[in-house]
Amino acid sequence: MIYLSKQEKRRAFWLNISAILICILFLFPIYWLVVTSLKTEGEIFRTPPTLFPLKITFDTYATQLFGKQYNMFEAFMNSAIIAVGTLVLSTLLSIPASYGLARFRIPGMQLFILLFLVTQMMPSSLILTPLFIAFKHLHLNNTYLAPILADATIAIPFSVMILRTYFITLPKELEDSAKIDGCNTITTFLRIMLPIAIPGVVVAMVFSFLFGWGDLVFALTFLSDTHKQPFTAGIFNFLGYQGISWNNIMAFGTISIIPVVLIFVFIQKYIVSGLTGGAIKG
Amino acid sequence: MARSRLIGYYFIFPALIYMILLVGYPIIENIRLGFYDVNVMNISSKSQAFVGLQNYRDLFDKGTIQIAMGNTLFYTVICIVFQFTIGFGLALFFSQKFGLSERLRGLIMVSWLMPGTITALMFRYMFSLDGGIINSVLLRLHIIEKPIEWLIQEHNAMWSIIIANTWVGVPFNMILLTTGLITIPKDVYESAAMDGANAIQKFFRITLPLLKPTITSLLILGFIYTFKVFDLVVVMTNGGPVDATEMLSTYSYKLSFGEFNFSQGAAVANILFVILFIISLGYLKMVSKEEVM
Repeated sequence: MIYLSKQEKRRAFWLNISAILICILFLFPIYWLVVTSLKTEGEIFRTPPTLFPLKITFDTYATQLFGKQYNMFEAFMNSAIIAVGTLVLSTLLSIPASYGLARFRIPGMQLFILLFLVTQMMPSSLILTPLFIAFKHLHLNNTYLAPILADATIAIPFSVMILRTYFITLPKELEDSAKIDGCNTITTFLRIMLPIAIPGVVVAMVFSFLFGWGDLVFALTFLSDTHKQPFTAGIFNFLGYQGISWNNIMAFGTISIIPVVLIFVFIQKYIVSGLTGGAIKG
Repeated sequence: MARSRLIGYYFIFPALIYMILLVGYPIIENIRLGFYDVNVMNISSKSQAFVGLQNYRDLFDKGTIQIAMGNTLFYTVICIVFQFTIGFGLALFFSQKFGLSERLRGLIMVSWLMPGTITALMFRYMFSLDGGIINSVLLRLHIIEKPIEWLIQEHNAMWSIIIANTWVGVPFNMILLTTGLITIPKDVYESAAMDGANAIQKFFRITLPLLKPTITSLLILGFIYTFKVFDLVVVMTNGGPVDATEMLSTYSYKLSFGEFNFSQGAAVANILFVILFIISLGYLKMVSKEEVM
């Protein structure tokens, strides 16, 4: 236990209070999102707006979930399929690649690393038109595979960069002793290195999931069938058809950020370390 | 030795080939498309005419491309200035040690992880004329006399998107700068204090120079990530009013999938590519000087 002087205690107290105020101010939009979803249609347009709902209602959720107008459940299932697909594809490809880039000294290595770095920086609009045409010929448009394949192009370089820094920091002696115990390259990788790298792998998986979950542009381009569209594309089209009913849309939004909040609660610590490693050291 | 090298390639190649097929090929195909006339009528046929630079000439004659370039650049620079300044301020604050510092610093990151579509809708509602909270707060504080037409008026629409994007980008800046700040050894400050340096001198003589590598990568990465904005703009204004918030990415999308003029859409994407490629090269040169391997 560290004993703080009275002055230091007071300082810490005021710092904590200011930090809480900063967070409340900064995160107010998210509060507003949730609160709006619980208001009635009439209360939405009140001036001045009410900071807390006069009457809490879950009607918005009921209309969205069970109403005929727009099926939220279906949209979220589609988003989940696309996000999980992106996660699986990206993880399967990027774990071995990042291990290879971190552990083997082979000709061309510098170039491979550069290729992953550059692709990470390219905008989705760049690959949109050619992929749309290619997917059309391959009859992939309007299948879940189309956005999954495209989302993985963002998730893979990101994961490779994060995981590579992770594998580099693992001590070389681990591998050597595994070799002495009779492991070959593959079994060393699977039995020794991969289990230690789990925190890094989790971060890569989480971000791959979030890329798929939040994607709008690929879904909008490749999926015109409304029964296949994820919530992002669904909500975007929903905007166009009628006057905006904000409470319904915010109910949608509230549910869509649940994975973000859950992820945040459970693996916050890993995200910060994984992110700073990957982004700065490149 | 030769065998273990081969295994190295086995590890890397699946991901590498994937990226070459799904990113490398489209980049090349975009360049070809830019020189041909490909639209919804001839997309599947073999008879696509070579038109040279006609697509680019048409784009510049129409004039929207110049506006989109200017908008994208303005938006990117202003966003980075805001994100970086606020992010730095918060990093200085949260790098101090107090009970809740780490927990609350992490909490701020939620805004960075939110789906872009939802962030855009949230701000669109907050900026709206009917029941928008931002106008109502500004009115209540007597900062403005009558409601501001945030998303409807051309000049304000751009600022609305900038404000929304700043909210998204602040945590990224803050987290990276905080990590940088924490790694600066304490004794550097202590010896400076003994030499009689005040807080401002310490900031400019120690903090800034030692953070320089972090700051440079942050600014370049920020530029690249901000320059390719799509979701926020499409959902908040869809490029409007008129072309006031049209960006290179949204313009390219509109040409390809609104007008089905795939060639011109590809041509705009190529312009975007060239700009980002030059900046990426600068970044790579900087990173490889420090440490790539």
